[in-house]
Amino acid sequence: MPAAFSGWCLGHLLLLLLLLCTSLSGGTLADAAMTTQDSSQAQVNFVTKTQVGHESSGPNASIQELKPGGKENLHSVPEHEIVLIGTSLEKKISLPSPTKVDLTCKLDDHSHLKNPQVTWKKGSETISHTSKTEKSWTIQVTVSDSSQLGSYTCILKAEKEISATFHLQVPKLEGKEKPVITYARDTAVMVCTAEYNPKAWTWYLANGTELVRVLRADKFQIKRPSPNVNRLEILKLTKEDNGVYWCEAIFELGSNQIKFELKVLSFGAPLKTFIAIVAEVAILFTTIVLYEVYSKRKEKGSKKECDQTKQLKSGDSTETQK
Amino acid sequence: MPAPAQAGRAPGPPDGGWGWVVVFGAFVSIGFAYAFPKGLAIFFKEIQDFFGTSYSEIAWISSIMLATTYGAGPISSILVNRYGSRPVVMFGGLLCGVGMISAAFCTSILQLYICVGFITGFGLALNLQPSVIIIGKYFLKRRPIANGLAMAGSPVMLCTLAPLNQFLFDNFGWRGSFLILGAILLNCCVAGALFRPIGPGTALVKTQVNEEGKDALKGKTTEDGPMEKKTEEEEGKDCFEKVNQYLDFSLFKHRGFLIYLIGNVLMFLGFFAPIVFLAPYAKHTGIDEYSAAFLLSILAIVDMVARPATGMVANSRWVRPRIQYFFSFAIAFNGACHLLCPLASSYTGLLVYSSFFGLAFGMVCAMLFETLMDLVGAARFTSAVGLVTIAECCTILLGPPIGGILIDTFGDYKYMFIKCGAVMVLAGTFLFIMNYYNYRMLAKEEKERKTKEEHLKSVRTENEGKINWNKDSTQDGPELEPLRENGEGVKKEMNGTN
Repeated sequence: MPAAFSGWCLGHLLLLLLLLCTSLSGGTLADAAMTTQDSSQAQVNFVTKTQVGHESSGPNASIQELKPGGKENLHSVPEHEIVLIGTSLEKKISLPSPTKVDLTCKLDDHSHLKNPQVTWKKGSETISHTSKTEKSWTIQVTVSDSSQLGSYTCILKAEKEISATFHLQVPKLEGKEKPVITYARDTAVMVCTAEYNPKAWTWYLANGTELVRVLRADKFQIKRPSPNVNRLEILKLTKEDNGVYWCEAIFELGSNQIKFELKVLSFGAPLKTFIAIVAEVAILFTTIVLYEVYSKRKEKGSKKECDQTKQLKSGDSTETQK
Repeated sequence: MPAPAQAGRAPGPPDGGWGWVVVFGAFVSIGFAYAFPKGLAIFFKEIQDFFGTSYSEIAWISSIMLATTYGAGPISSILVNRYGSRPVVMFGGLLCGVGMISAAFCTSILQLYICVGFITGFGLALNLQPSVIIIGKYFLKRRPIANGLAMAGSPVMLCTLAPLNQFLFDNFGWRGSFLILGAILLNCCVAGALFRPIGPGTALVKTQVNEEGKDALKGKTTEDGPMEKKTEEEEGKDCFEKVNQYLDFSLFKHRGFLIYLIGNVLMFLGFFAPIVFLAPYAKHTGIDEYSAAFLLSILAIVDMVARPATGMVANSRWVRPRIQYFFSFAIAFNGACHLLCPLASSYTGLLVYSSFFGLAFGMVCAMLFETLMDLVGAARFTSAVGLVTIAECCTILLGPPIGGILIDTFGDYKYMFIKCGAVMVLAGTFLFIMNYYNYRMLAKEEKERKTKEEHLKSVRTENEGKINWNKDSTQDGPELEPLRENGEGVKKEMNGTN
């Protein structure tokens, strides 16, 4: 059937389009920091060397997040750089596994700052540069365990002080910010997605202040449709299942958690609204029908009068004729 | 147009009074039919997660619904021809309600396809066609305004449904929302109850088609000769003619209908794709989600205002006789907007584009059915709308996927806009040229008919007695009067603004 085939085509192409869009539109994070351009200072530009097929037009190009599970060439170290201007700038970098990263702070070509002094710091500790050019300063950070994660800041001192921060962290998790609404005797599904593939997943139920691991096989089912997605299914819901659940993903460099809130409603909740609307429909419907019947009766009544007067008149005329 | 001497015959459309109530009912009905499938998109992510399916499987729900709504057009037409608009719309509303209520209890994606896709889609089809048809029965002189107002239901309902759906979803989850939406769809039954049958509009098919054949002949001289003979002969003799009673396939010989069909089928290839891809395109150029959504809101708001406004313009003395040209212009204008869109790269540019797009979209939609009514007449409109929607069904479904392929192949949205723009400009030009030809042919046929009748008249006066002839002439007089007045007989007939 052409309609079904078109439906299939449409569905698949919408999927392709969605994937394309999600891969092209990365920008989140420090977009807010890229505000106005000061004429006396350089322009802001976020650039990641691992961009794929995105046309950056002018200074407000969106940031490219690294694609999940992307290829990492072991021979070349991933580079991240920030071009400096404005007050404070930030960039968040997710690292799934031990690696080395190059962090660069770079001055834009149009900048007129003379003899800038740049220091790299992590917390209070100063780090020495790995490489340095006239307008860029780079450090290489070897991240082998969670202690090397954190915030690395480059501070530039010249006429003004400018700083930019790189946040090295474990990959983020994505869940549902709003509560998950389900009904008693139904199944609840919570889907937890990670940027990169974690080593392991765990789910917890918040019991007061304790976190209890979710274990019962008859009530809970954990599925892993793909390496970076995890599903928790809760069967045979009851009101007691209301509450907070945590999804934890364990990476080589640490773990990350995200919260889900579950609300179990009884069927009566929407039912009340449903009945109210059905009642409204019934009332309107009856009103319209009654009005129509009433107006038709009025018409018939007036028509009868018309006919009667006509008969009388014709009766008169026939009488006169006779 | 009905002269006093015609009091004995069936009166023309009331052009007011209860007609405006019918317009309101059609507003609600058409609004649900067009806006409901679009409003469902909010639930798809959740349903996808719940059933663990891929996005394309969820997108099928929308496609099935759209395909059923347009594909069931002929069935809708047949039912309206047989039973009249009112029972069909009420049944359609009931079907929609039942479909969505049962969808609330679905346990698999296949059940959702059936409940939401087929049942609700079919119910919406039964809502859409009769609403459009009954406007043609209630209005003649003010029909473009009535059409414009009724079609404005679509953007208004969309603007209402979108936040409402979001609210329902946040509070009741998708199951509860479907239950409540089912109840809301039952309001279509209420809208249907307003569609009081009128004059020659309903009752038995035979008498109805006979009457309408005659009425349409007097009112519009765009009928074919053969059709008139058929209505007089039909006593259910031929099987083919019986089918023709329910669904008028002889429309395929009607020149105006064919022009409309080809032009529209072509137009729909590029009609919906830009709306589908406007928000993704905005995000692609770096605009954030909320501003991208705002573009669509601007589009809907301008659309809402444009439809009744277009109806009023189309009803004016200058435009009504040449309404086909206005329609072609609207389509070409739409195409021109799309062609210029790639030049708009900033947010302001896209805002301007959205406003003009909203205007053009509203103009085309407001006149979509009006022009068809104008071409084939109110009598055959019932069948015409069914045949047109099933033909459009294919291109409507193909439009966005083709746009999607273009975007994927070239990695750039501008080719999709260029394709849509080109297709629509082509359709507009085609319609313009063919309608010019059609108008000329109609004027020619009108002149021929005039000379033929005058010739017949003179023959009759020679052969028959004067007394008999006087009786005939008083009956034919009012009919031929508007024709005799001036050479613009055709345009005056189609004008309906005597």
